[in-house]
Amino acid sequence: MKLKESFIMHNDGTESILISANASEFSGLVKGNKTFGCILECLATETTEEEIVLKLSEKYDADKETIAKDVQNTLVNLRKIGALDE
Amino acid sequence: MRKEFVIKLADKNIGVSCIFDSTYDFCRAYITENKADFNVIVSKDDIDFESMKSARENIAEGHRVICYPDEYLETLALYRKIAEKMPAYNTLLFHGSVIAVDGEGYLFTAKSGTGKSTHTRLWKELFKDRAVMVNDDKPLLKITDSGVFAYGTPWNGKHHLGNNISAPLKVICFLKRAENNSIAPVTKQAVYGELLQQCYRPAKIDSLKKTLVLLDLIAQKVGFYQLFCNQNIEAAEISYHKMKG
Repeated sequence: MKLKESFIMHNDGTESILISANASEFSGLVKGNKTFGCILECLATETTEEEIVLKLSEKYDADKETIAKDVQNTLVNLRKIGALDE
Repeated sequence: MRKEFVIKLADKNIGVSCIFDSTYDFCRAYITENKADFNVIVSKDDIDFESMKSARENIAEGHRVICYPDEYLETLALYRKIAEKMPAYNTLLFHGSVIAVDGEGYLFTAKSGTGKSTHTRLWKELFKDRAVMVNDDKPLLKITDSGVFAYGTPWNGKHHLGNNISAPLKVICFLKRAENNSIAPVTKQAVYGELLQQCYRPAKIDSLKKTLVLLDLIAQKVGFYQLFCNQNIEAAEISYHKMKG
């Protein structure tokens, strides 16, 4: 899976933001913390849910189960707004 | 025969090629003899795109579909083409009413119909000659090292309130209707969704990326306030005294 090219990631120094260049596709915005930003970065290139969990586990000092749940929830939300190419 | 001329907006000279004479008249106060920095061409397809977009929005908002004349749609298509290119010149199209008092610009933004123009009209009533309307609907904001500047444009709302002037922008105020008046500073995080909604969102990826960077810069250089207001003159007194600092 991969983030669609029409979706733009932006970090303003405090938050990570995701918006779509195609307003008829998705006209809102999604805001999130560093973990959200990291998941988006992983999705900039073709990847899998397992790879994202692995990368986040290497980066953050949290138990793998919590990370896996965060990743799963984020992916569910990204699918809802049609942000993923799968 | 196509109409060709150059207009100067936010210090950029823009070559315009369009279909209708009315667009030339619409832009008259901004026409210059200068050489164009860049050109925009409006075609019949662009006009049809505006017509379809407007119909889609009418339907989405639950309103009946309004068929606008092509002359009006051409002005929309022209501004869209200009707004797509302006981020490259550190300039954004923003939806709001900008009034300058004692030379400093105050921008009021909100969804259409909330009362931005009503509020700036109260400012005009309160400050009389000290207040000058920069643009009542779609000003351009240019982000520079020395601050953000609001510029008048021909797209100045249904009452055509605005002037071919610029003013350093002191504040962006997010306006909401209320029975009682109150105003407080807000963080960018609290109003980011509205900020993004009220600025032109380019369709081209690079322009959109640049727009997001420019919005961050605006947040560093301009104060943000949230105003809850009614339509009494007291609303203007309260908002000015809080925002002038």
